[in-house]
Amino acid sequence: MKNHIAKLRKKSKITQQELAEKVKVTRQTIISLEFGRYNPSLELAYKITKALKQKHIEDVFDLKSIEI
Amino acid sequence: MAQKHINKKNSVWRYGFATILIIAGIILSYLNIGNEFLGFPSLGLWLIYVGFMMLTIVTLQLMSNKKRIVDERMQFVATKAARITFIGIILFAFVIMVVDGIKPIHIAYSYFMSYLICGIVVLYLISYKILLLFN
Repeated sequence: MKNHIAKLRKKSKITQQELAEKVKVTRQTIISLEFGRYNPSLELAYKITKALKQKHIEDVFDLKSIEI
Repeated sequence: MAQKHINKKNSVWRYGFATILIIAGIILSYLNIGNEFLGFPSLGLWLIYVGFMMLTIVTLQLMSNKKRIVDERMQFVATKAARITFIGIILFAFVIMVVDGIKPIHIAYSYFMSYLICGIVVLYLISYKILLLFN
């Protein structure tokens, strides 16, 4: 699933480590998420959305890329 | 998703479990139950050994200030690694059966179990580390 974590994180001027600490995961998980290698759970997606000060999960994660 | 940290509360449970193992070991040794277990003279001595190992590990973890984070990605990878290990062991056993045939093995049960457990642990660690890179 495509996402805008890296872009929004840089815009918010926070490091991968800081974001990882905010959402209580490892920095490696943030790296995997940014590269689109790992799809987060709904809970983690929500936490990341809040940590990046966005209103909706769709603002961070590109849900259109999911095939039904 | 969780940040696992060995604190005093969960270490009490671990100390308790280790103590139960040691007590059970002493009782079994006293009653002389279960001779020759996994390379140990008796099941009781094995339980005492495991109990003391657990006490040592918990104490070392309590003394260490390092925070250990286990997040959902690591749990996801661990599940995948466990599945790969399970399939790997079954396939390996099947290949041996095909290549070597079904024959009786002449090896002490303790050695067989030790080799099997070591094989499982090594296969699990390798698959876990590799999967961690690609997930």
